[in-house]
Amino acid sequence: MNLFRSEEHVARWLETNGYEAGATLSTEGICDLAQAWWGDRLDPNWQPHTLEQNQAILDGLGLTGEFWRLA
Amino acid sequence: MDVDLRNRIYAWFVEHGEAPAPEEVGADEAAFQRLHDEHALVLEPDSTEIRMLNPFSAVATPYRVETDGGSWYGNCVWDAFGIPAALGVDGHISTNCPYCGTPLEVDVVSGGRGRTTSSPTSWCRHGTGGTTSASPEAR
Repeated sequence: MNLFRSEEHVARWLETNGYEAGATLSTEGICDLAQAWWGDRLDPNWQPHTLEQNQAILDGLGLTGEFWRLA
Repeated sequence: MDVDLRNRIYAWFVEHGEAPAPEEVGADEAAFQRLHDEHALVLEPDSTEIRMLNPFSAVATPYRVETDGGSWYGNCVWDAFGIPAALGVDGHISTNCPYCGTPLEVDVVSGGRGRTTSSPTSWCRHGTGGTTSASPEAR
């Protein structure tokens, strides 16, 4: 995942490199995703997330659709 | 998965700012390899040196994070945002726009909202081409 100056630069970068479009998030959105996904990573009682737990994180943040489907 | 060993490795990394060798956390190379095989960490190819403790990178990357407790690197920008979240602290992320190279600086308030200096847009895609990271299911 990368950070871009603007959505226009995302589009230019995709075109220049011939990449297929993925998804874009605002920095606020990625803050929310990072908090939900990584927030427990240093918890002494950490346990591996199941696929269902991770999918629930994405769904809970409104990150739905084929791109965000984990399996 | 040996969660206790995994947790000791993470704790060591945060305390020392670098990845431990197996013997420094009461383990051996085989134990590190098992954690790698279980996707709890990522080793360097053909080595038991740790390269990634997601969201942390044990090597320098273009995704630098500054916190009051130290300097860190993420494996991608999502990981960079994840470091303040994991540490439970505020952070400052420095990277560059992959298209134009413009430096991008983002302040992150732990558990809150990012404040940016240049309204950057984060973007992710499946696959491992170019400079992008692996897709979400790899975490």
